[in-house]
Amino acid sequence: MPSEQVEELSAERTIERINLPLRVQHFALLVSVTLLIVTGLALLYWDSAFGRLLIALEGGFEARGTLHRIAAGLLIATTLYHLLYILFSRQGHEEFMQMLLRVQDFRDYGAALLYDLGLRAEKPQLDRYSYREKFQYWAFALFIVVMIGSGFVLWFHNWFFGLLPKWAFDVALAVHGGTGTLILIVLTLWHLYIVHLSPGRFPIDWSFWDGKISESQLQEEHPLEYKRLKEKGLL
Amino acid sequence: MKKLFTARHLKMRAGGAKCAVALARGFGARLIVLSVIMVGLIPISWPGYSQRDPNARCLLECHANPGFKREVAPGQFRALFVDYEQFKASVHGEKLCVDCHTDVTVIPHQRRPEQIHCLQCHYQGNVVGAPVSERPEKYKESVHGKAFERGDPNAPDCKNCHTVHSVRAHTDPLSPVYRVNIPKTCASCHVEIYTDYLEGVHGQALRNNVLESAVCSDCHREHDLFPPDDPRSSLHPQNVANTCARCHTDVSIMERRGVPVKQVEAFKKSFHGIAIEFGILKSAHCISCHEYHKILSSRDPRSPIHPLNLAQTCGQCHPNASSNVARGRFHIIPSDPDAGIVFWVYEFYRWLIIVMTSFFVLYIVLDLYGRWRHARRRPHG
Repeated sequence: MPSEQVEELSAERTIERINLPLRVQHFALLVSVTLLIVTGLALLYWDSAFGRLLIALEGGFEARGTLHRIAAGLLIATTLYHLLYILFSRQGHEEFMQMLLRVQDFRDYGAALLYDLGLRAEKPQLDRYSYREKFQYWAFALFIVVMIGSGFVLWFHNWFFGLLPKWAFDVALAVHGGTGTLILIVLTLWHLYIVHLSPGRFPIDWSFWDGKISESQLQEEHPLEYKRLKEKGLL
Repeated sequence: MKKLFTARHLKMRAGGAKCAVALARGFGARLIVLSVIMVGLIPISWPGYSQRDPNARCLLECHANPGFKREVAPGQFRALFVDYEQFKASVHGEKLCVDCHTDVTVIPHQRRPEQIHCLQCHYQGNVVGAPVSERPEKYKESVHGKAFERGDPNAPDCKNCHTVHSVRAHTDPLSPVYRVNIPKTCASCHVEIYTDYLEGVHGQALRNNVLESAVCSDCHREHDLFPPDDPRSSLHPQNVANTCARCHTDVSIMERRGVPVKQVEAFKKSFHGIAIEFGILKSAHCISCHEYHKILSSRDPRSPIHPLNLAQTCGQCHPNASSNVARGRFHIIPSDPDAGIVFWVYEFYRWLIIVMTSFFVLYIVLDLYGRWRHARRRPHG
C-alpha cells in the first residue's frame, strides 16, 4: 500500500500513455465518425422533425449526401493510415500486438464482473490494453469493415449494378442502416460512458487530446503496465 | 294574358315565315319552307315540345329543324339545330333559351347572337341559383384555359367537354363527363393518347366494365390540369406518387383487382421516393418505370417492368444496369415479411440492437453498482 504522500504525488504526475500518431488517428476517426453518424441519422430519420432538421442543417438533401461521402473518405483514409501504421511502423506494430485478443481477456472480463458484484475480492490485474480497450477496438474494426463494404455498394451502385443482383443493394442498405444504429449505441452507451461519462471522468477526460494519464489512474486501471514502467524506471 | 299570347303568336308566325325564307336561300328546298309555314299555321306540336313551351317560339320556327343551318362561308355550313329532347333532359331543361342567349330580345333575332359563356350565370353570388364552384377559376389557370386565353383555336372551354345544349350531371351515365365516358370525351382531341390508354391496364379494365379503373381525370384532374413541370400539377414529380396513391393505397379496390397495395408506401420509403420528397426531381418516380398512358402488367413482355426489359428501364438512369436488376424484389418495406432476405437482415439488426442496448444498460448499472460498493467499503480521503 503506497503512503498517502506518494498517492498525492502520483495523482499530479502524468505520463504520455498514447503517442501522437495514435491520437491523430483517433481524432480523425472521431471527426469522420461523428460526421457520418450525424449525416447518416438525417437520412435514416428523414421522415421525422429531427431528421428534417438535420438535413436542413447539413445544407439540404444533396449536400447531406456529399458531406457523408467526404466523411467516408476521411474514415477510409484513416483506416488505410492505421493499417500502414500497424504494418510498417515498429511502434504501431508493437501497439497492435498488444491489442490482439487472448483468452486472459475473457477471464479478466469475468473476474471484473464478479468483482463488481462483490463475489470476488481481488480486482483483475489489467495490462496496457485490457478487455475493455480490446473489445472496443475489435468491435469498431468489424464495424468499419461492414460499413465501408456496404457503403461502397451504395456509393458506387452504378458500377456494382453490373456485378450484384438487385436484392444485394437492398441488403447493403439494411446492413448499413442497422450497423450504423448499432455503432451509435455502442459509441454512446459503451465508449462514451467508459471514457467520459463514468464517475471520476465526467464530464470529459482530455487524454484523447494530450494522451496523458495520471500515475494514480494508471496504477488503478492498468496495474501491469504501471508495474512494467516502474521496473523500467520510466516513472 | 290571353291577348299577349295572341300577339306573340302572330309575331311568331311572321318570324317563322322570315326564318323559312332564309332557310330556303341556304337550301333551296321549297318543301321545307312549306312545311315550316304549315307548322306555324296549324297548332300541332313538333316532337319533344309543346306549343305552350316557353321555348316554343325558338324551336317551332327554326331551331327544332334538324336541317336548320347557316352558311358561314361559301359552301360551309354551321348547324343551328337544337335537339330539344336532349335539352329538356339536361340540367338546364327548365331554362329558357333567352336565359342564356340574353342578347336575343326579338324573336326571330335579326343578328347573330353573341357567343354566350357559362360564367354568365355560374359566378359567385348569382341570383338565378346556378351552382358555383371554384372550377371555372381552376380552368382559367389550367393548360386548356391558358391556351384558350392565348387564342389557340383548338383549346377547349367548358362546352367542349360539357356540351352546349345537353349539359348533364357528371353522375349521369349519358354525360360526356361521366367517369366511363371521360376517355372518349378527351379523345375528341387527344386521340393518340386514347389509343395508348386503351392498350394499357387501365383502359383494358375500363373496357371490361371495371368502372373503378382510372380514367384521364383521375390522374390529370378535370379543371386544374397543369403541365407536369408545374408544382400544382397532380403529375408533378413530387405529386405523382400521391396521385397514384389515390387508388393504389385503397385496399378495397386493389384487393378486387389483385393488385398489391403497399407499392406507393414502399416507393415513398425508398431512396428514390425520399430524394423526390426532398426536391431531387431527377429521381425516379412511378411513371419513370411504369410508363403512363400505356401502363402494362409486369407479365406483359411489352411492359418496361417485364423482367426482360428491366435492364433497359433502369438503364435510362443507371447506365450499367444489367439483367442483375431483375434479380430481387421491388417495392419492399424492410419491416415487412414480403421483403424476403431484407426482412431477415432487418429483423437481425432489430434484435441485435435491442439485445446490445439492454446489455450496455446492464453494464452501466453493474459498473455504477460496483463503484458504489467499493467506494462505500473503502472511503477515499
